[in-house]
Amino acid sequence: MIGVGKIKQYTNVLDKPLSKGKQEVSLSAFAFLFSEMVQYNQTQVDNIAELERRLEDAGYAVGARVLELLCHREKGNRRETRLLGILSFVHSTVWKVLFGKALEIGCGGTLVRRVLMEESDRCQVADSLEKGTEHEDEYMISEKELLVNRFISIPKDMGTFNCGAFVAGIVRGVLDSAGFPAVVTAHFVPVEGQLRPRTTILIKFAEEVLRREARLG
Amino acid sequence: MIVCVAVVGHQNNPLYIQSFTEADDALKLHHIVHCSLDVVDERVNNPRKSGPTLNDTFLGLLYPTENYKVYGYLTNTKVKFILVTTDLDVRDADVRNFFRRFHSAYVDAVSNPFHVPGKKITSRTFAERVSTIVKSFGLSSAG
Repeated sequence: MIGVGKIKQYTNVLDKPLSKGKQEVSLSAFAFLFSEMVQYNQTQVDNIAELERRLEDAGYAVGARVLELLCHREKGNRRETRLLGILSFVHSTVWKVLFGKALEIGCGGTLVRRVLMEESDRCQVADSLEKGTEHEDEYMISEKELLVNRFISIPKDMGTFNCGAFVAGIVRGVLDSAGFPAVVTAHFVPVEGQLRPRTTILIKFAEEVLRREARLG
Repeated sequence: MIVCVAVVGHQNNPLYIQSFTEADDALKLHHIVHCSLDVVDERVNNPRKSGPTLNDTFLGLLYPTENYKVYGYLTNTKVKFILVTTDLDVRDADVRNFFRRFHSAYVDAVSNPFHVPGKKITSRTFAERVSTIVKSFGLSSAG
């Protein structure tokens, strides 16, 4: 509404109300913070699995809060009770708010439509959601390059460690708080023709979720 | 006159209960809030097709007791807000407005990194904001 009241200038960024959406944080600030987080956790643990678990726990805390926040910000938001509903919520709304990208939906490995990233000049396939073919309860979100992994290179002796565990934790936090307990992990998937492998977030839902979904029809 | 507000977690554990009148027994208000949880569950599991649409957040008047009215609100994470009031002529829009602001204060409280999800909300700021919202509810519906 134009001209209604005065826009209050907040001198302290902590005073800004949470509901003013579309805040943007500089990428370098976030990358710095994330690298410090990884380094700190590295000093605390002895092995890779523990490090991955710690990053995932950190992401879980973020995910739980993001769900509350998005539910409040979105006008007329509905509570998701169906599996596909919550999955599409994760890839569209959550991804857009956190990483500023839009997603596409794919079925059974084929990509239905592509969404272009406005920031980059070259065409990029942004993301995709796929249903795993081996098990009924597995879904995959794959992305060319996770934002958190952009400035990180894994040394050879760390093996299959993936800082995407943080993003996996975020997804797990969102799903858990919405009532869909799941095990979420991040994996590197090598693709021919590209130097850096794609990252895939694998979501495996718990038994009760599938039973409830079958009951709802 | 709002008598009591409560925030109940998704396992029906109380996260925040605050009563705003000295007259009534706090235990009785706890009991009323507790009973209203059953009504919330019933509304959620058996949606009335003619009533509010499925998955709406505002549940409306849950049940009227002796001299209280109880309103409910359900968020995305199955966290419930319960409002107990003694007003006889409360407008629906006022209650929705109240819950919207209450939800905003709740989101701010939960976004605190030192808040453990599932534990009671101990933030003083949250308590102050809630009492401000409660006071302004009384004024706006009287006017």
